[in-house]
Formats: sequence, C-alpha cells, structure tokens
Amino acid sequence: ELAAVIGATVPTGFEQTAAEEVQEKLGSASRISRDRGKIYFEVPARSLPQVHRLRSVDNLFVVVREFKDYQFKENKEDALKDLEDLVKKLPWTDPLQVWELNNSLKKKKTKRKKHNLQSPASREKPSDGGEEAGADQNNTNDQEDCAQTPVSVEPTGDQDTENAQGVTPRNGVEEEEEEEDKEQSDVKGGAQERSESGAKAGEGHTGEGEAKVLRFRVTCNRAGDKHSFTSNEAARDFGGAVQEHFQWKADMTNFDVEVLLNIHNNEVVVGIALTEESLHRRNITHFGPTTLRSTLAYGMLRLCDPQPTDIIVDPMCGTGAIPIEGAAEWPFCYHIAGDNNPQAVKRAANNVSSLLRKYESKDSSSALGVPLDIIQWDICNLPLRTGSVDVVVTDMPFGKRIGSKKKNWDLYPACLMEMGRICTPGTGRAVLLTQDKKCFAKALSRVGHIWRRAQTVWVNVGGLHAAVYLLRRTWERAEETRPFW
Amino acid sequence: MKLLTHNLLSSHVPGLRPGGGFPLKIELGHPSELPPEPLPDYEANEEFLRRLHHVLLEVEVLEGSLQCPDSGRRFPISRGVPNMLLTEEEA
Repeated sequence: ELAAVIGATVPTGFEQTAAEEVQEKLGSASRISRDRGKIYFEVPARSLPQVHRLRSVDNLFVVVREFKDYQFKENKEDALKDLEDLVKKLPWTDPLQVWELNNSLKKKKTKRKKHNLQSPASREKPSDGGEEAGADQNNTNDQEDCAQTPVSVEPTGDQDTENAQGVTPRNGVEEEEEEEDKEQSDVKGGAQERSESGAKAGEGHTGEGEAKVLRFRVTCNRAGDKHSFTSNEAARDFGGAVQEHFQWKADMTNFDVEVLLNIHNNEVVVGIALTEESLHRRNITHFGPTTLRSTLAYGMLRLCDPQPTDIIVDPMCGTGAIPIEGAAEWPFCYHIAGDNNPQAVKRAANNVSSLLRKYESKDSSSALGVPLDIIQWDICNLPLRTGSVDVVVTDMPFGKRIGSKKKNWDLYPACLMEMGRICTPGTGRAVLLTQDKKCFAKALSRVGHIWRRAQTVWVNVGGLHAAVYLLRRTWERAEETRPFW
Repeated sequence: MKLLTHNLLSSHVPGLRPGGGFPLKIELGHPSELPPEPLPDYEANEEFLRRLHHVLLEVEVLEGSLQCPDSGRRFPISRGVPNMLLTEEEA
C-alpha cells in the first residue's frame, strides 16, 4: 500500500498543537523538526483527503528524502556539485505517485471562489475591492516560511525586546521582511531547451493522447551559518540536475511540480509540494488590515481546550477569524464575537454569511444555525453578565498595526479586568495573542487576583514576534453590581 | 441575534441598581412556540427539547431592539447585530 511521509508547515509555536490534531484525526504520531514550524508524519496515501482537512496546517508537502545530518563540503563548488549529484540517487517514484494522487484530488474539489491570495508562485488571484491591505498581510505570511538569513541563532530568552523585526532571534531563525534578503529562489529556464517529445521517466504521461512534459520549479529555503552557498545557487544547481534527470521544463510561474529543497543547518529535506496556496486564509473572504490566519486561530482555540457547551467569546474579533474557526471546528460550543468598530462588525457578519452559504451548498438539509453571534460593543464595558463566559480568546491590538503603544498602556489593564469579570471563576480561561509583551506583562501583574498565567507560546505574526498567553481565571468572584450568571 | 445570546446580555448603562439591567426586553412581536412554563420531565421530552433548541439557536432577531428594564434605554438590533455601544455622554 502506498504510504507517504508528509511534511506540514504550521504556525511556529504551535507544532505540538498540530501534532495533537494529526494524532486525533489521522492516528499518526508526528515528529517535530528542529526547523521550527514543521512537523512530519506518515500516513497511507489514501488518507490524503483527511490530511487536507487539518485545521492547524498551512502548507503540505510529500517528503522525498530526509537527511538528518548532511555533511556539506566547505568549498562552494563541491557542495553544490554534491547537491546536483544527489538528484539521480533520490527515491522519486513513490513521492511522485503521491503527488499524482494529490493532483486528482484537487481536480475533484468543486470550484470555490478564489480568495485574494498571493502564493509564492506569484499567481494573481482576484482581489476583493479595497482589501489590498489584507492581501499584503497575507503575502507577508506566505513568505514567512521562505525568508531566512545566513545566521542561525538560539533564542536568547529576552522577552522584552521591542522592535523585534529581524533583530531578536526567537525561533532559532531570524526572519526578515526585506525583499533582498528573501532567499526563496526559483530555477530559471535552462540554456538547453528540450523539445516536447523528449519526455522521460513516464511522469509526464496523462494517459490520454500525447505525453505531456511536466513543468517544474525548485524552491530552496536555507538557514544556517556554515553553508558556503546561497539558496539561490542551491535552487539553481539542484534544479538543473532535476531538469536533466526528468527532462521536465523549468517554469517559475506555471509549474506542475514544485520541488522543495529545505536546508536547516545539517538537516536537509527534499520534498514535493502538495498545496499551492496556503490553507490559512480558508474561512475569510472579507479581509481587514490585520486578519488573523485561520491556522493560528485554530491553534489558539485548541489551547483553550473547548468543552461541549462552553461559551467562547472574542471581545475584539475584527473580521471574525477566531469565532468563525471556532464555530466551524467546535460546533458544540457557543461562540460570541464582538468589536467596537462598525467596519469590523460588518466584515465579520459577511464572513459568517459566506461560511453559511458554503455549508448550505454542501448539505441542503435542515437549516442548522451556526452557533455564532456578533455584537457591536466596547471591550472596556461589556454588556455581558458577570461570570457568564467560559472562554475568552482574542487577538489583542498591536501597537504597530492598530491603535498605538500609548493606547495599549491604558487599554490592556481595562481589558483584562473586564474579561475577568465576564469569565467563570475557577474554570474559566483566556487565550490572548499580543505583540506588546511588555505592556501585557505589566497589565497582568495588576490583575493577579483574577488571572494566573498558565502557559506562553511564542509565535510569529506577519513578521512580528508575538506571544500567545494562556491564562486561568482564579476562584475569586468579581466585585460587582452587574447581574451575575 | 439568537435567543441564547440574549440570555447572556445585560444592560451596562451606568447608575443602575445593583443586579439591574437584566433581562433586556426584546421588542418584536414574535409569538413563542413554547409553553409558558417547562413541563415536568422536560429533559426527557424530545419534542419540547427540539422546540427549545430551535428557539434558542435557530431563531434570529434581525431587526428590533433590546430595552434595558431599569433605565428604558434601547439598544438597536440591525441585520441581526445588536449595537450595545454607549454614547460618550452615557459612559
């Protein structure tokens, strides 16, 4: 039976969460790679549809070969020659079969409305009017796992550093946003042009009519300070050898096969991509300036450990990424989303409608309401009864993207107090994402009688180093004149 | 807005008596399909539970308002979304 070793990229910090989801839904154990943001697991190839339905995964690829401790030659020419020579020795057959199977799955999927995504293949998707900011944000997220630097540094544990962009190493790999540092490379068309009839190795055959020559490109991600070559060079030379070996045609934008060459210090993984657009924007059709990716929303929700009948509230919901993911994955909980911004409320409502339409078309049986409501409100003075909510989960405003640092100084303590009031003493919990870690820590120190910090997950959001805090509500009842639950 | 959400809401107009502001009055002439009181053994009554589930989770107020029982302040509901923002003067 055809088996596949699948590599999955996940939001950094949520590798364990993703591994749990894989165990739960596929029954497979995962290996968490030292290359942060990636997990590996083995499944029978027929499980591919379920693999695609994982909610904690951004991108998928099938592993051709993994080298745990690859010895790179010191000399650049030698090192690159080794990579070239590697191509013909790799076990391509099974992974390519998996890739073919995956292709047939993609064709079966009904045409969905294309969201405004920009994949590394630089394909232009139709953009939704004035939502360019959202598209840019998404583009940044897509490039995240391709960005790298020549230097790999261990996390310093210094959590108070602001201005983290490209400076504070957090996950062992610095991530920079400047275009020139992005080392994602593609193979340019080779000097030799092969004719269409020269297809070899049978992978290009569609089975009907003429043999079709496959188009491919190589994407190389490289991180580490001991390599004598750049990812550009590796992609170029590796790609040259791939072209030679398969007689495929190199094409940067319209490719059938995307070969991945991931180099993280001495860990080398060769893979073939199974997703062409990141899954992380799947629920959202109406973007806002800071829309959270669904995979991150899913990870945060899992951290809350939602139980059936839990009331889960996102009091600063923006376009609704978190409650929408919540309602989709935890339909036996009840989700309430709120925001003070009328634009955000409108977008969230539209996203919920889109979701409803999606489910309606799939299953036109009884009109099952989505367990989700939206309210326009002020986080500092919530119209909710004291102690009526089990879980508070939200993306707190970042000084850099919405609001300001000074505003956060006043906002954060007020938020934490009000969230503490509405949350059930003892069993309640909060999962809060923020980039303003200094402000958050200070605010938290003032509400120690209501909230205790249980866990911290370091994450990366659009290039900014952020943290997700899991807090537990103490048993102390809120001093209140408001009606209790 | 669903009925289950309404169950969690209370008025936050300043200056209310302790414990005041709940429940908000839903203004909308919608006849209830439920009996005025739960029947004995309602947990086992499938038909009742079905109707209850329907009313709590599947009926939405799209247009109307919520009225604070103590201050009389009305919060509008538009396109299914209640606007519970207080004005600058109120807050």
